[in-house]
Amino acid sequence: MHLDTTSRRVSPFTWALLIVLPLITACIALGIGRYSLTPVETLTVIYRRIAGLPISDANAAIVLFGIRLPRVLLALLVGAGLSAAGTAFQSLFANPLATPDTLGVASGASLGAVVGLFLGVSLISVQLLALAGGLLAVALTILVSRGGRSRGIITMVLSGMILGSLFSALISLFKYVADPESQLPSITYWLMGSLNTASYKNLILGAPFLIAGILMLALLRWRLNILPLSEDEARATGTNLPLLRGLTVVSATMITASAVSMCGQVGWVGLLIPHICRMLWGADNRRLIPASVSLGAVFMVIVDTLARTLTAAELPVSILTAVIGAPVFIALLRKTGGWQL
Amino acid sequence: MTFAVENGVFAYGGGRRVLDGISFSVSAGELLAILGPNGAGKTTLLRCMMGFLKWRAGRSTLDGRDIRTYTPDRLWRRMAYVPQARKAAVSFTVGELVLLGRGSRFSLFSQPSREDVRKAEEALDRLRLSHLAGRKCAELSGGELQMALIARALAAEPELLILDEPESNLDFRNQLVVLDTMTELARDGVTCIFNTHYPAHALRMAGRSLLLRGDGRAECGDSRDIITERSLREAFGVEAVIGEVETPHNIYYDVLPIRAAEPAPASEIQPKKQTEESTMETRIAIIGIIVEDRTAAEKINELLHEHASYVVGRMGMPYPKKDISIISVIVDAPEDVIAKLSGKLGMLHGVSIKTTYSRH
Repeated sequence: MHLDTTSRRVSPFTWALLIVLPLITACIALGIGRYSLTPVETLTVIYRRIAGLPISDANAAIVLFGIRLPRVLLALLVGAGLSAAGTAFQSLFANPLATPDTLGVASGASLGAVVGLFLGVSLISVQLLALAGGLLAVALTILVSRGGRSRGIITMVLSGMILGSLFSALISLFKYVADPESQLPSITYWLMGSLNTASYKNLILGAPFLIAGILMLALLRWRLNILPLSEDEARATGTNLPLLRGLTVVSATMITASAVSMCGQVGWVGLLIPHICRMLWGADNRRLIPASVSLGAVFMVIVDTLARTLTAAELPVSILTAVIGAPVFIALLRKTGGWQL
Repeated sequence: MTFAVENGVFAYGGGRRVLDGISFSVSAGELLAILGPNGAGKTTLLRCMMGFLKWRAGRSTLDGRDIRTYTPDRLWRRMAYVPQARKAAVSFTVGELVLLGRGSRFSLFSQPSREDVRKAEEALDRLRLSHLAGRKCAELSGGELQMALIARALAAEPELLILDEPESNLDFRNQLVVLDTMTELARDGVTCIFNTHYPAHALRMAGRSLLLRGDGRAECGDSRDIITERSLREAFGVEAVIGEVETPHNIYYDVLPIRAAEPAPASEIQPKKQTEESTMETRIAIIGIIVEDRTAAEKINELLHEHASYVVGRMGMPYPKKDISIISVIVDAPEDVIAKLSGKLGMLHGVSIKTTYSRH
């Protein structure tokens, strides 16, 4: 057998686990809630639905397909997407602290959504505005960083940060002038992030972008390894660097903007999951991207399930990711003794 | 393969010309050392040469074609770049790092194939680094990392290797390992162009040298002609002695720096070294040569042919029992001509030489 010494081996068992784990988690999560089902019951209902057989428990079908399935699907997609985008951006910026929001996508998308909520348009329109806001923000960031003499990656990060804080200021402005009785709570709640608005309509609008982004990153996964090299070294690999960078930014932006448009800002996922994967499987993006997609999906489904079941009222998902993320991150920091990609 | 720079001119911003009218060319299997004091533009020259910086005038060519007309992947299949060993941002394993060298061999959206992996492994093998494949780059010593970077460049199967100060920051032994690796590669037909701070290294292993002076101009030629006590004083401001060290097998040239001197103002530097040799008295010398590598015989003949006017007599005999040849050449020439000829002969692979001079 040929022994690939250029890559740390990931056993077939691990790969199988990475594929199956999100499915198992999703199946369990589908059963959890006030109307609780065992995984076997869940599977039976799903099977009967697919096979076109009559379902004895009508309530189970409604809860499962009407309420929980879109939400779990959304969680899977958002977790997978944000983790993949985080992994890609950490490579692109050669910086372990890069997140999907580094270029101001999330702030831009949030601003779009806040404008929508302020104007009181329908939820779908809010989502569209968020999507547009995110894409516009990145376009603006790139435009700003292109204008001057220096076109380095650092300029891009700085432009992203500057525009991000500008958008945050504008969001504050809208909050300040919003009606504190009706608009302000909905804006605040939206900004904290929640998956409870999940519906098939939502998904149809946002998911294609998100899935396309993930697929693109998956195709580019080996090339992502080239991005953190120094400029000269990267060019010397014979790679079309502007194209690679452009595709990476576009993919990550599509993912993040559509994630934010569907469920608001969800922090930490794009930072935490890639680093856990790096610790487990090393720095090669050939393994990192698929592993991040899988574990990100699992993580998000778990966190969202906790968010909707932990207390009687639903918890904003960002609060939970931060509460879980911060301690895990500190532990990682202490263990690795510093930041490294 | 021929790589050439034709009349290259470069300046940062609107400043003075860092490089002014640089021209040279190398062909397959040659070693070219680029020397020059700090700030003379050694790294700038490398970066211009490879197209990382744009020449203000002039161009770099590969087989006569401007390198800018090659697509990146076509170009970087034929040449490869070895940067200075620095700690990288990402903790790849050595195997993963070396595989990056295959980037020019498949399309943007593909993954490395088995063939690519095998080539990367071959590159590791060639430099005897296979045992490091699974190690993280951050855990390597400076010497190991430099060798891993050379392996990455070799993974692209290039015809031309461009190395930026490959032996800087390395200890005594690792310097030799890197230099010997380059010599070996050149013998296998891989052309190497490298920057170095050490004139002695250029003298010892590079057939040709390019000496950048502070004013943006350069001289290029046989190392023995370019690196002289005089040029070292002029370009580096170092008073140095170039000496011969004889071992039972060979004569080595070394540069012994004596003291820092005032570098000559650029205006006073003679454009080309003067031929002091013509005025010098000639001496008789016998150069004894033992040839253990047959491929060297042709090179020896070439060299002797170039010096035909000085050669008084020569004898050659094969010694089939040990599969070697023994050549004895008697020359009547100025001392420095003899020294340079000995030096060039001694640099050939599988050749042992000794030169005996007459007293007067």
